[in-house]
Amino acid sequence: MLDKKLIRFITSMTIFSVLLTHGLAESQEKLSGQEIINKSQQIFFYVGKDMKAKVLMKLISKSGKERIRELTMLRLNKGESGEQKYYMYFHRPADVREMTFMIWKYLGKNDDRWLYVPSIKLVRRIAANDKNSSFVGSDFTYEDISGREVVEDTHTLNAEEELNGKSVNVVESIPKEEKSAFYSRKVSWIDQETFLPLKEEYYDKRGDLYKIFTAGKIESVQGIATIMQRTMANVKNGHRTIVTFEEVSYNIGLREDIFSERYLRSAPRKWIK
Amino acid sequence: MLKKLTYFSIDHPKLVIILILVLTGLFLFQFPKAHIDTDPENMLEANQSDRVFYDQVKKDFGIRDIIVLGITDENGIFQTETLGKIARITEDILKIDGVVIEDVISFTTTDNVISEGGMMQVRRIMETVPQTKEDAEAIKASIYDNPLFVEKIVSKDGDAVALYIPIQQKDMSYDISKEIESVVQKELGRGQNYYIAGLPVAEDTFGSEMFLQMGILAPLIGLVIFLLMFFLFRKASLVVSPMIVAMFSVAWGMGAMIGLGFTVHIMSSMIPIFLMPIAVLDSVHILSEFYDRYPALQDRKQTLLAVTDELFTPMFYTSITTAVGFGSLTLAAIPPVRVFGAFVAIGVMAAWLLTVTLIPASIMLIREEKLSAKVAKREKKPSLLTKLLPGVGRFAFGQSRIIVFGAAALLAVGIWGLTKIVVNDNPVNWFNEDHKIRIADRVMNHYFGGTYMAYLAIEGHQPDDIKRPEVMAYISELQKYLEERDVVGKTSSVADIVKRVERVLKGGSEAQNRIPESQDEIGQYLFLFLMSGNPNDLDNFVDYDYQKANIWVQMKRGDNRDMEKVEQAVQQFFDNNHVPEGIEIRWSGLTYINKVWQDLMVKGMLKAVLGGFLAVFILMLILFRSPGLAFISMMPLTFAIVLSYGLIGFIGKDYDMPIAVCSSLALGLSIDFAIHFIQRFRRKFQECGDLENTIGYIFQEPARAISRNAFVIIFGFLPLVFASLTPYVTVGAFFAMLMSFSTLTTLILLPALMRMVGFRFMKR
Repeated sequence: MLDKKLIRFITSMTIFSVLLTHGLAESQEKLSGQEIINKSQQIFFYVGKDMKAKVLMKLISKSGKERIRELTMLRLNKGESGEQKYYMYFHRPADVREMTFMIWKYLGKNDDRWLYVPSIKLVRRIAANDKNSSFVGSDFTYEDISGREVVEDTHTLNAEEELNGKSVNVVESIPKEEKSAFYSRKVSWIDQETFLPLKEEYYDKRGDLYKIFTAGKIESVQGIATIMQRTMANVKNGHRTIVTFEEVSYNIGLREDIFSERYLRSAPRKWIK
Repeated sequence: MLKKLTYFSIDHPKLVIILILVLTGLFLFQFPKAHIDTDPENMLEANQSDRVFYDQVKKDFGIRDIIVLGITDENGIFQTETLGKIARITEDILKIDGVVIEDVISFTTTDNVISEGGMMQVRRIMETVPQTKEDAEAIKASIYDNPLFVEKIVSKDGDAVALYIPIQQKDMSYDISKEIESVVQKELGRGQNYYIAGLPVAEDTFGSEMFLQMGILAPLIGLVIFLLMFFLFRKASLVVSPMIVAMFSVAWGMGAMIGLGFTVHIMSSMIPIFLMPIAVLDSVHILSEFYDRYPALQDRKQTLLAVTDELFTPMFYTSITTAVGFGSLTLAAIPPVRVFGAFVAIGVMAAWLLTVTLIPASIMLIREEKLSAKVAKREKKPSLLTKLLPGVGRFAFGQSRIIVFGAAALLAVGIWGLTKIVVNDNPVNWFNEDHKIRIADRVMNHYFGGTYMAYLAIEGHQPDDIKRPEVMAYISELQKYLEERDVVGKTSSVADIVKRVERVLKGGSEAQNRIPESQDEIGQYLFLFLMSGNPNDLDNFVDYDYQKANIWVQMKRGDNRDMEKVEQAVQQFFDNNHVPEGIEIRWSGLTYINKVWQDLMVKGMLKAVLGGFLAVFILMLILFRSPGLAFISMMPLTFAIVLSYGLIGFIGKDYDMPIAVCSSLALGLSIDFAIHFIQRFRRKFQECGDLENTIGYIFQEPARAISRNAFVIIFGFLPLVFASLTPYVTVGAFFAMLMSFSTLTTLILLPALMRMVGFRFMKR
C-alpha cells in the first residue's frame, strides 16, 4: 500500500517538475536519463488534453503475410494525475467490426480493461496483470501503447549522438525488478529537440537484441510533433508491425462519460464514423 | 589383362607400396572436411512431396523442434517448494542459447485465461511462486480447470509437470539438452526426477553417440579380424598386410565420400564396419591358397604366380558381385542409403585393387627362409577344419536327395515367415532399453499426452475458411475421434481455443464447451484471444489469414506402425464424415515423416534386392556361361535371405532400417562362396571327370578357404553386438546369421545339388 502511494507521489512530482522544466524551454543544464525519459513519455503518451486518431496496424509475418487492424482511438488525460482513459473502436478485420475496447490506466496499479463482443452483445472486464502481453496480436505490447511507468526502470544517459541528422540522447533503461518487464535492457534514442523516441532497442533476458522500435514519418499536428508512422520489429522471429496514424487531432473536447460501458456497446457517433 | 597389375606388383613391390601409400594419404587428407548429419528428415529427398509439405507446415505455423522436459515429484508437484524450483528452472532455461524464449511453455511463461467473479482473467499460470499451501492449491485448481493444460503440461495425477522448450535448430538439441540437464540437476532433490524427451533430442543424441561408438567399434572390429586371421595363419607378418588392405579401403571409401562433399549420416557411419571384414576376404583366399601351395614349390614368386592364376578370376567376380550388391542400394529412393551403397561398393573395389597389388608385393618383401620356416612348421599339425570338412563333404554327397528336399521344405517355411514380416521403426528405439532416452520416453508418455508429434494440416480455398463454423466443428469432431484412438494422447487446435474463450466469456459450466454457430462470433473470439494472450499461442494453430489450420496430434508411441494405424483410422473418419467443402486435410509432422521414409525404404529395398539379384545372376551367367550353374550359384544367397528374413518374421522382430540394409550385404557376400565353390568344382571336375573325387578335392583347400572367410566375416561383425546403439547390434547379429545360413548352404546344399543335377552343366 505504502509502495503504491509512494510511487504515485513520486510520479506526480516528477511529472510536475518535468512540466516546470518544460516551461523553461531549451534547458541549459544537462538532463539526467530519468528526466529525459520522463519528458519523452509526456510528449509521447500524454501530449494534449485528449486525442483522437484513426490507426492502421499492419501485422506482417516473417513470410510477408499481413493481418490488418484498423481502429479509432480516443484518449483522455485525467488532469495532471497521470491517469488516462483509452477507447478503441475496431473497423477491421471485418468480422470484428463494432468490437470496442476500453482501458482505464492508473499509476502504481494494474489497468482496468473492458471489451465488448458484439456478436453476443457482451461486455467483459478483462483483468490482465501482464502489460507485456501483445496488443491485438501485434508486436506492440499494452505497455508500448499506453506507456510504462518511469520509476519502474533505472535510466542512464549513455551518450549524445546523431541519428538520421538529428541530435539524440541515448538512454539506457534497466528494470529495477527483473520480473516486471520482458526486457532486460532497453536503449532509447530520444530526439533532443522534440523528445520523441526515434528508435528503441529491447534486449531479452539473455541479453540478445529482441525488438526494435523505429519512428517513421514525424509531422506537426496542431503544432505538436507527432509520430505518424512507427514500426516494431521482432528480430528474433522476423515478425513486425507497422502502425500508421491516418487522422490525428488533439484537444477535441472529449467528455469522460464516453469512456463507459454504455458507449462500449454503442459507439459515440460523434467521434467514430 | 588385369592380371598384369599383380605381375607388376610381384616385380616391383617397393614401388607399388609407395604409390599406394601416397594415394591413401590423399584420401585421408579429405577426412577433416567431414560433415555430420543425423537428421532423419534427410532420409527423404529434398524435393520429396511430404518433406516439402512438412517444411511448409513448419513455416505456416511457426513450428519449431521441441525438447520436452518432464519433472516428477513423488509427493506431487503442487507444493510451494517444488513450484519454486519449477519457476527457477524455467528462468534459467530461458537464458540458454538457442532456446526460443517467447514460445517456451511452462507455468511461469504460459498464460491461462480464466473466468473469475464475472471477470476474464489473463495471467501466467503461476504469476508468482506461492508461499502457502492454499495458494499452491489455487494454482492447481486453475490449471485443472483448463482442459488445454491437462496431460499437456501437467499429468492427470499432479505428479509430473512438462516444459516444452522450442529450439532454433534441430542440431542444437543435444547441446541444449545437456545444459537443461545441468540446470535441473542443480535444483532437484530427493523424490524428484527429470526426463528429457522428444524426437529431436533422440536423433541428435544418436548422432553424437554414433561417433563415439564408431570410435570404439571400428578399432575393435579391426582387432578381432586381426586375431581371427592370426588364429588361421599364425604369422603376424602375413596377417598385417590384409589388415592394412582393410584400413586403406576404409580410408579410400570414406575419403572419396567426404571429398566429394557427402555428409556422414547414420548410414554412412557404418561404412568402416562393413568394409573392414569384406576387405580382408580376398586376402584370406590368397593367403589360404599360398599356404597350400608354398610347401610344394618352395618359391614365393612361383607360388604367387600359381595362386594368381587360380584365384584371379573368382576374386574379381566375387568383388564385382559384392560391389553390385551394395550398388543395388542406389536404386532406393533414400539418399543416405544410396550414398552408403555407392561408397561401400567403391570401397569394395578399392579393397580388390589393394588385395591384388599390396598382398603380393608385401609377400615379396618377406624373406624366403622365414616363409618356409613358418609355413613348413604349420604344415605339421592338421587344423580342426582339415579334419572336419571332408566329413561334411561325404555327408552332403551321400545324402544329397534328403538334403535337397529338406532344403526345399526349409525354403517354403522361410517364405511363410517372410509373409509375417512387420515393417516398423522408431528413432527412440535406436537406443538400448535402459538408455535414459528410452526411460524418458516411457515415463513421459505415461504421464502426458505423448511426446511424438504429428500434425493434421487443414487447408481452405480462401482466407477465413477456417473460421467457418462447420469447419471449426469438423476440426473439433475430428479431434474427439482422434483422442479415442489408443495411441493418441492429446490433440489441440484452434477449435480448443474457441471453445475455451466461449467458456470463459459465458462463464462456467462444461456444458458450454461448444463451437459457436456464426462466423462473426468465431472471429471475435479469436480476436479476443489475441487481445489477451500471447499471439504465438494462436499462430501455432492457424496461419495468418485463417486459410490454414493445424491440429497437433500428440502420440504416446512413435512407432511407424502406430502412426500408420492412426492414419488409417483418420482416413476412415474422412470416409464416414464428409470433409467440409473447399477443405483439404493432410498429415505431416516428424512422426509422420518417419513413417513416410520407412514406406519408401521397404519398397526401395525390395527394388534394390531384386535389382541386385538380377545383376548378380547376369554376372553369374557371364562367369559360368551356363544357366544351370548360374541358377545353382544363386542358392546360398537365396537361402540366406529367405531363411534369415523368414526368421525375423517368425520371431516378430521389426523390419527396420538396419535389417533392410543387411539384405544387400548378404546379396554381395553370399554369392562369393558360391563362386569359389562352383568355379573350382568345375575346374576339378573337368580335369578328373569324377564327381566323388571332385567333392573330395573341394572339401580340402577350397572348403577351408570358404570356411575361413565365413569365420572372418561372421566373427568380424560380432563385436557390433556389444554396441550401445541398437542399429549396430542388429546389423552385427543379423549379419552373422545371414552369413551362417549362406555358409551352411554352400557347404551342404551345393555339393548335394552338384551331385543331383549340377554335373550335367559341366562339359568335360
